[in-house]
Amino acid sequence: MKTLALAVALALSTSAFAQEKTIRITGFGAKSGVVRSFGINSEAAMLAAADVINKEGGVRLADGSKAKVVVDFLDDRCNAEEGISVLRRIYGTDAVVAVGPTCSNVAEPLFGILQKKVDDKGDSGLQMPVFTDVAIKVGLAKISEWAFRNVPNETTMYSSLFYWLKTKYPNAKTVFGGVEEDFAHSRASWYAVMKDRAEANGYNVLGNSKWLLNDTNFATQVREMKNANADIVAISAHPFTTCGVLKEMQRQGVKPKVLVGLTSSSSLETLQGCAKQAEGMIIPTSFAPVTKEGKAAAETTAKFKGAADLHSMAAWENMFILKQVIESEKLSGDKAQLQADRRKIRDGLAKLKETKGLMGVTKRTDDREADKPYLFVHANKGEWKVLHNPL
Amino acid sequence: MLDFFQAVSDGLLFGATYALIGIGFTLVFGVMHKLNLAYAAASIGAAYAGLLILQLGAGAPPWAVFLCAFLGGGVIGWLVYLTCFHFIPLSHQLAPLMSTVGMLLLIDEIIVHVTAGMPQNYPAMFDDVMLRAGGFTLRGDLLLVAGVSVLCMIGLLALLYRTRLGLATRAVSQQPVAAQLCGIRVARINALTFIITGLLGGIAGALIGASVGALSPLLTAPLTVKGLIVTVIGGLGSIPGAIVAGLLVGAFENVFQQFRGVTERDLYVMLLLFAFLVFRPGGLFAPKS
Repeated sequence: MKTLALAVALALSTSAFAQEKTIRITGFGAKSGVVRSFGINSEAAMLAAADVINKEGGVRLADGSKAKVVVDFLDDRCNAEEGISVLRRIYGTDAVVAVGPTCSNVAEPLFGILQKKVDDKGDSGLQMPVFTDVAIKVGLAKISEWAFRNVPNETTMYSSLFYWLKTKYPNAKTVFGGVEEDFAHSRASWYAVMKDRAEANGYNVLGNSKWLLNDTNFATQVREMKNANADIVAISAHPFTTCGVLKEMQRQGVKPKVLVGLTSSSSLETLQGCAKQAEGMIIPTSFAPVTKEGKAAAETTAKFKGAADLHSMAAWENMFILKQVIESEKLSGDKAQLQADRRKIRDGLAKLKETKGLMGVTKRTDDREADKPYLFVHANKGEWKVLHNPL
Repeated sequence: MLDFFQAVSDGLLFGATYALIGIGFTLVFGVMHKLNLAYAAASIGAAYAGLLILQLGAGAPPWAVFLCAFLGGGVIGWLVYLTCFHFIPLSHQLAPLMSTVGMLLLIDEIIVHVTAGMPQNYPAMFDDVMLRAGGFTLRGDLLLVAGVSVLCMIGLLALLYRTRLGLATRAVSQQPVAAQLCGIRVARINALTFIITGLLGGIAGALIGASVGALSPLLTAPLTVKGLIVTVIGGLGSIPGAIVAGLLVGAFENVFQQFRGVTERDLYVMLLLFAFLVFRPGGLFAPKS
């Protein structure tokens, strides 16, 4: 009798489980290579956000039923060809939207394979909404109307930073740059953002030194920096070479009044590599765990073995924005209507004028980019601490 | 002019790190006539292994990290020998070459997975020592690397030419069949060669980590390329050649960077390699056959 009851209960639960609807959101990014930590953190943030959403009942579908959010995460190795292949694979699944990639050198060609304009019958590009959390190079979403980004606007942030530095350090008049020449984000951030914004704020940019992502010897570059004797040194590079340069600056006794870093360097990696030398470095960032929501998101992400930073928390925000879009656009959740659901996600994301983020309200621009709230942090005794909130 | 001399001296000193890697490449080639492309990755892997001591005791001194890297290098060297050479038919020229490429990638991926690709701070020795003469400076830690390179060369040459193991190693290198007929266990000598180069790799990896100030998987590919260039320019199989070529490549690299910029630097280093391959294929110190 007991066995029969158990069998019936099992059959009922299996049936109920089979009927449970799901909405698949697939993340992709670098989970191997030297930027592996970005992928790990984004995946953890997405899983953590999905966990919170599912515990609250999931997402409401068009017929009023609730669906659980299922998250997958694929590795593109920060390689353009792999990224394109991964997106095509995601397109072949029942995922309604893709969240990623990590690297700008992947995002740029990847957006290129998407349909440029919606409803363009002559364009056979992929019709798949992509909602980017990390790849930050300026202005990429305009490549396709299926591409959306929730990444900080570096132009606004550095403009604000140099403006603030003007008031904070009125005697600082000159800027010298250091740029990782062979990395898309670093290069674009120096030439199109930092240098440009410094000049716009009245600074005299004395020049810049260049190095490569794999470089280990920075003696020549730092000597150029030393000879320039600028008041402000701005380093547009990722943590490994940033640390190499900072250590060489220490050896050669280069001590600018102000040290400015790249957004991506406001991470654990920099502190792990050179906390002592990075002391005082100022970086604008779109995330710091200063709000109640931010703290909770960071704690939940940590439970999924991820670190909260400006990139991973964008992935967290993306999940909640997508929940909002899924519900407002009334997705069917029906696998037969998959392409229609993807279109609804695209249209829903395109309609958004603002979204709720962990640091406050994020404005959405007409070219499908985000204008996120930000603040300035600085390295202080082995931690990134808030230095100034300009908003 | 001062900048030029400073660039040359910086390059010469940093070239010592290439020399240390080049010695490992050349030693294995000299004995087995095979290239171990995993050598630089194994050396960096050994340097990471050195950091394990910091996991056990947070306040471990740098010498303990270096010792751990040294021993780790020996173990990794032996494992590389077992997996890439011992069980692989050496008569197939490409088999060990490809297996070492696979090992290079494997070591790289293991490091990436364990550290999530994050750079790891590495304890430095003499990094605060700078010898100054007016505006001219020399880094203490790189002088240490150069000194260790020369000591390694002397030690290896003494081992090869003053010990029974060295005699056996040279015999295996020159006539493996005859050496076997004389009772020398060729497999044992080959394994010992890998352990010795592994120990050396451990020192090299630790010194490179200390001079760079951090370890990252980003180090393995450029060190492999530079190590190979150094081995070819120095003369395949020549230990003094590896040292001289390492210093030369470092100096040329810095001079090219000074005059042509960082984006053209490697282009000229490659042209230098091609020039050697065309005009002096045996390298600077081609061993007499």
